[in-house]
Amino acid sequence: MSKVNKQSLWTSIKSKYSIYFVLIVLFLVCWLANENFVSVENIKNISTQISVGTILAFGQTILIISGMLDLSSASVLALAGVLSVSVYKMTGSLLLAFVAAILVGVICNILNGLMVTRFKTPPFIATLAMMTIARGAALMYTNGQNIYQIGAYIKFGQGRILGMPTPVIFMVTLLVLTWYLLRHTVFGRSIYAIGGNEEAANASGINVNRIKMQAFIINGIFVGIAGVLFMSRVNGGMPNGAVGYEFKALTAAVIGGTSFSGGIGTASGTLAGAFIVGFLDNIMVLVGVNSYLQQIVRGAIIALAVIYDIWAKTKRTKRKLGSAEAK
Amino acid sequence: MKKWLVIALIVSMMASLLTGCSQPAPAAAPAEPAAAPTAAAEQKEYRVAYIARAQADSFAAWLANAVKEEAAKYDNIKLDVFDGQANDDTENGLIENAITNKYDVIIVQPNNGEAQRPYVEKAVAAGIKVITTNARISGIPGSSSVDADPYMQAKVNCDLAVSQVPQNAKVVVLMGPPGNFHADARRESWKKEFFEKRPDVKIVGEEIANWNKDEAMNYMETWVQANDKIDAIIAMNDNMAAGALEVIKDNPKFKNTLAYGVDGTAEACLLIEKGLMTSTSLQSAYDLATSLLDTTNKLVTGAEKEINMDIDCPLITKDNVQKYIEMHKKAGAIQ
Repeated sequence: MSKVNKQSLWTSIKSKYSIYFVLIVLFLVCWLANENFVSVENIKNISTQISVGTILAFGQTILIISGMLDLSSASVLALAGVLSVSVYKMTGSLLLAFVAAILVGVICNILNGLMVTRFKTPPFIATLAMMTIARGAALMYTNGQNIYQIGAYIKFGQGRILGMPTPVIFMVTLLVLTWYLLRHTVFGRSIYAIGGNEEAANASGINVNRIKMQAFIINGIFVGIAGVLFMSRVNGGMPNGAVGYEFKALTAAVIGGTSFSGGIGTASGTLAGAFIVGFLDNIMVLVGVNSYLQQIVRGAIIALAVIYDIWAKTKRTKRKLGSAEAK
Repeated sequence: MKKWLVIALIVSMMASLLTGCSQPAPAAAPAEPAAAPTAAAEQKEYRVAYIARAQADSFAAWLANAVKEEAAKYDNIKLDVFDGQANDDTENGLIENAITNKYDVIIVQPNNGEAQRPYVEKAVAAGIKVITTNARISGIPGSSSVDADPYMQAKVNCDLAVSQVPQNAKVVVLMGPPGNFHADARRESWKKEFFEKRPDVKIVGEEIANWNKDEAMNYMETWVQANDKIDAIIAMNDNMAAGALEVIKDNPKFKNTLAYGVDGTAEACLLIEKGLMTSTSLQSAYDLATSLLDTTNKLVTGAEKEINMDIDCPLITKDNVQKYIEMHKKAGAIQ
């Protein structure tokens, strides 16, 4: 292989996998910064801590790729979670509680989907409305109070299977599911097509409204599962829990390379984005960085990571265009 | 025609049945003196606006519910509850609306005392009686206040911790939102009443967990990785203490870890009962509500012109926790 080809292959790999380079570099920096960072338990902890936000982020990734987003995910999570806890307390059945959370997530997202597809409401507004409605419903149902003494419900979020925390198992399973849906199904290809150019997708025979509704339903299932894990992890039904998690999810997706203009994004990129934020939060607490400074550092590193990722991708595009012109 | 006749017959039967069913009611009802409604009609009804900081905040919701229950005991008070939605603009707007609607009393639970101060002053200038609570806005002549002293709430825990926390202990501190009056005063109390008296104690982690259980959990999970020993968890509220305890509850390495909070929530009482949490101090929404309505009544009836008072902040430990568990059971917070 000639020197030029080798260089071109290296540049291609570097630009395609730029976000993973950022993640690896950050991992090495954290390793050097504190000896406690690289331990099996700490990595498990970080994975557990990011799991709820990352599950929401997988749903967001699917929606953002198709040119939509969900601002209501954290509020629906709270509603699904408190109702699920409540179902468990009434029936004593973990299965029913789990199903109830998913049902609530799906119903709220069907409403989101109807607003977007039937009434042509912009997803930002439709899900903003649902954000307020779901949070209000959760608070109204519980009268603003937390539900305690949830017994065996904590198994969902605090259990371990073969030493692996259950939230991490859920996260990995949903990662594989999202990856499969996006890469290996007609639904996935339609999602990318709609996000890339909705009119062209429509003209090519894709039922845009049906695919958008399906995307919301899948998001609803993920939100419901996240609701169960969150409430179980905090050992209570908390109607005001998970405030701001929709932005955590959006941040992970966007850092992971999902483009707000639609048509671009991967499940593994989102996971990498979530780990970048998770590593940062963890190392700053381990090293004892001042709380206020943490927010500045977090913001700055997120901006740098995304700038590097965009720069690397633009370089690749320019190189491709350059070689095309040369031909 | 026949059909209509049948329907008419059924309706009349139903009506007679319902009348028959409802007949015992007046007899079963307590024999109210006939004069009572007349007296109630003669008694002036005072309109009270309760402006809550945020119904989404669990303590604020508990307080709003307690105030509603307490107000129902007063025949001369009609209470309307408004939600400030943790937003200064919204809360200020609600105070202005209450002035325009000529409420007799406005009770304000500020989102940020200084932001609401000019609006409270405006209400006082309009001749409306204003009570500020949780936290009070002090220094407004003509306004009243009912509060719990956040410094004292932390101090009762500090007094216990000074003798309980072992020598050269390693502790972690969980703080409330910066700039929050109660969060800052409680932290100041721990500084003066504990850390200055125990210079041997080392803080191995201190973070802002914004009163939240999940944020406290995340911090504690990380601290546990970096420290073989954490002798005490010092939290500015019970929610955060409970979050930290959630992480170490099954870890034998931390079975002797002490944990202090503030609020006296149902969850904290259960943790103290189990021996997982050491102590908390009660900020009772019921006591606040009782004092708020009592103050309201005294102000509207002219018994007093201005009242400024603090409710007690009793320390809850394993020795007296049963009393408070019963209190929460009665309120339906726990079974």
